[in-house]
Amino acid sequence: MNSDQPFATASITLQDLSKRFGDLSAVEKVNLKVEAGTLVCLLGPSGCGKTTTLRMIAGFEEPSEGKIFIGEDDITRIPPYTRPTAMVFQSYALFPHMNVFENVAYGLKARRRPKEEIERRVNEAIRLMELEGNERKSPPQLSGGQQQRVALARALVIRPKVLLFDEPLSNLDAQLRVRMRGEIRGLQHRLGITSVYVTHDQEEAFSIADVVALMNKGKLIQLGTPRELYRQPADRFVAEFVGLSNVVPAELVESRTDGAIVRVLGVTIRSRRPPKSGGGPLSIVLRPEALAISSSGDHGVPARVLSLAYVGPIARYRVQVEGDGTELIVDLSNPGPDQFFGEGAQVKIRLPAEVPSLLS
Amino acid sequence: MTASARIGPGLSPRQRQRFSLLAALAVQLLILGVIANTVLSLDVVEDRREVVGGVETIHFRRELVGDVPLLIVAALGMAVPAASARIRREPVMLVAVQLGVVGLVLFVFWPLAQVFLEGFRAGQGTTGFSLLQFERLLASPTVARASIHTLLIGSVAAVLSTSLGTLVAYTLTLTDIPWRRMLRVLVVLPLVSPPFVVSHAFIMLFGRRGLITYDLLHITKWTIYGPDGIVLVQLISDVPLVVLILMAVFASINRDLEDAAEDLGGRPFHVLRTVTFPLVTPAILTAALLTFISSIADFGNPMLMGGGYQVLATQAYIQLIELFDLQLGAALAMLLVIPAVAAFALQHWITSRRSYVTVTGGARTGGIRKLPPLIKLPLFGLTFLLAGFTVLLYGSIFVGSLVESWGFDFTPSIRHLRGLITAVPQLRNSLVVSIGSGVVGGVIGIIIAWLVARQRLPGRSALDFSATLMYAIPGTVVGIGYIVAFNAAPYFWTGTFFIIIIAYAYRRLPVGLRTAVAAQKQIDPALEEASLDLGASRMRTFARITFPLLSRAFFAGVIYIFIRGMTDLSTAVFLNAGRTQLYTVRMFRVIITGSPSEAAAFAGLLIIIIMVALGILSRITGKSFVDLFRI
Repeated sequence: MNSDQPFATASITLQDLSKRFGDLSAVEKVNLKVEAGTLVCLLGPSGCGKTTTLRMIAGFEEPSEGKIFIGEDDITRIPPYTRPTAMVFQSYALFPHMNVFENVAYGLKARRRPKEEIERRVNEAIRLMELEGNERKSPPQLSGGQQQRVALARALVIRPKVLLFDEPLSNLDAQLRVRMRGEIRGLQHRLGITSVYVTHDQEEAFSIADVVALMNKGKLIQLGTPRELYRQPADRFVAEFVGLSNVVPAELVESRTDGAIVRVLGVTIRSRRPPKSGGGPLSIVLRPEALAISSSGDHGVPARVLSLAYVGPIARYRVQVEGDGTELIVDLSNPGPDQFFGEGAQVKIRLPAEVPSLLS
Repeated sequence: MTASARIGPGLSPRQRQRFSLLAALAVQLLILGVIANTVLSLDVVEDRREVVGGVETIHFRRELVGDVPLLIVAALGMAVPAASARIRREPVMLVAVQLGVVGLVLFVFWPLAQVFLEGFRAGQGTTGFSLLQFERLLASPTVARASIHTLLIGSVAAVLSTSLGTLVAYTLTLTDIPWRRMLRVLVVLPLVSPPFVVSHAFIMLFGRRGLITYDLLHITKWTIYGPDGIVLVQLISDVPLVVLILMAVFASINRDLEDAAEDLGGRPFHVLRTVTFPLVTPAILTAALLTFISSIADFGNPMLMGGGYQVLATQAYIQLIELFDLQLGAALAMLLVIPAVAAFALQHWITSRRSYVTVTGGARTGGIRKLPPLIKLPLFGLTFLLAGFTVLLYGSIFVGSLVESWGFDFTPSIRHLRGLITAVPQLRNSLVVSIGSGVVGGVIGIIIAWLVARQRLPGRSALDFSATLMYAIPGTVVGIGYIVAFNAAPYFWTGTFFIIIIAYAYRRLPVGLRTAVAAQKQIDPALEEASLDLGASRMRTFARITFPLLSRAFFAGVIYIFIRGMTDLSTAVFLNAGRTQLYTVRMFRVIITGSPSEAAAFAGLLIIIIMVALGILSRITGKSFVDLFRI
């Protein structure tokens, strides 16, 4: 096997995948296709079934129903050790009684590769992860970031068709997390290896994923690029989970095939997509950064400031609309000195003239 | 592309799976074959005789004799795990579960079932259900009394040792008693020796020619022999058990609760009565039930101290070994099992309920409680008395082994130490059996622990319960069960090293299992998953990851089982025979028939061997002496 040979990666297909633990339905009929070479993030709050889904792909949990394919092969019922997957664990799971070299070599030894090949491939993986000089160290002697790299090297060295990540960065501090995130993304791109990445951190998911699969209560709620999820959330849960949102009731004025006109807080707004059929109450997602705040003399919806907080370079206002009492969050980036409004101040809120879609 | 899809030398996953399934099938047939070969044999028996022309011709035929029911039970034991699709898919797991289940069926359930079957049999070799043995039991006043005595002794010993042990544990944990560390060691010291060594020390001090009763106080009318003697000795050996359980519990009480009670106006004694003790009540009940089990199972003490006062364990021994009445012995064993298992089940139920003594986040624990001298001083006195008594008992064993003849001639002599040379064969037997059972029990324990704690198998709690059941079964009953099950054709195993090793290994399986489960819980499950994920099979994962990380626990388990083997008497008296006589059995005979000094030398050597084993154990586990007993 030539070391320069690219990874023989393959797509992953989940077909009606379900998992029940007793009465609890952890994963319910998830259908998902991960195209070869892409990185899909399973994102969702804790207990949404994302980790269970990942563990079913790895073979640690047996699906109650449904099938899992890697490429064309049905792997639903085969034990983990015969699957072409490699996982990076949340706790890294580095073997404490083996040094770095032995840890990385483990999967190759299990495959009974010739000694020279093991040596060569392990050294290659160690170089790739910039771990040279640490081969004889035992895992606890390494820093958190280095342990993470060893876990990655150990997974990559067996040339899996599919790489699985179970919240791999949750044990690192904030700065290192951002750096490792970039490294994992770069590596995945370079090697072009199909990956499934589990996280509960929206920011992490959006910065790393080609496609995000948002899960809630065992179900796949929405599948799309980060941009799609952000701009066209399928429902209120998505809108709120993928970023701070104001979800405000909207009244339909006119519906056309290429969009709709609604009234929100007395303001007319155009939606670029028509509402989903079925009628029912509509609402609209107003992103905090899409709203503008200005002094009471300007145009806009009259409101009163409830509180103000500085989040980095952003001034985040919580305001209450006069009249119906709707509360909104308004983000103002790089606020100038004339844009400061104290608690109780009367202000005007300007809404965007157009939004991508409506929620029903 | 295909190269990375293939795992192992040139085999696709599917081929590989088919291969291992075939291998598993072959192993299955092999296991079944070995069992069949053991339990069945083709015998040549006489069929009929003919007289033809003055010559008598005897016709023979071949007949299958043996334990067909056991074969069926074993086959069922193999079939049950195979019924689960999840287990069947992984051949290594299948074989591991089957071996575990078949072992438990063969060496735990089968002998116990045999005790019950034999008890309901009219006589040797008869078939059919009969209540004859129970009619005999009711008719015999000795036997009826033995049942009452057993329950009486068990209850009194449990109540007394639990009360005493609780007070001592409190004193050693939460008061400022001086020399606390040394006192702890002294109080748990009786755990290192078999209880009948304590009996012997008692006899040396308080017997008919006892140092204190005869030489110092010149008492001749009163004797230690009888129920009060039995209870006293059991106190000495059971109090340490209670102390160990309760020291751990007292040390983990949330101190804020007591402070709150005091803050609300409770006086120290009031707080002790209304807060501290209620908090530890579940642990006290647990301790009481465990001492009850230990007391009714006790065989050596009542045999030595009873002086005609019979309990079930001794009666069963007399009926079976001295009067050769297998059925009556089995019926007695049955009577003994019932209260033991009941107490065990109750204890299980108590501990499975929510514990009050759960330490949450920042709770403060331990520390010294301020007590008024009126409470404190009696507690101190009691603890010192107990520790002093232990010193006196063990001191007399060591001094006794170094004099000419304890009770008669106190001139120093090493005659009895030299006499130990005659016990070398028995010592060798005991070492062989104990080391063997340690290794066997350690291996089984670690495999069952792995199945129970790690693999989410269907029916794992049943497996766990079966493996811990033996804890409740008195050694006498185990001995009788093994005799009934394996003494007749086609086994004739009684008196072999093999059966004693198996009996010890399974009897002490709960110890090995608990050590292994505790250690396994310390290991991050992701380590094993990572290994499987990287392509290592279950077997490889176990050998390269699980076992190396568990090896300390494994050796600790081996030594625990070894110590139990070295000190066992109640199972040994039933299963050993001339060639395989064990050290404890020889020692027991010496206590009964030899001089006190000779017996003291035997006891002294045994204590030293166990101390050495504990020293090694302490090295392996890094635990202190007192903590070694806490398993």
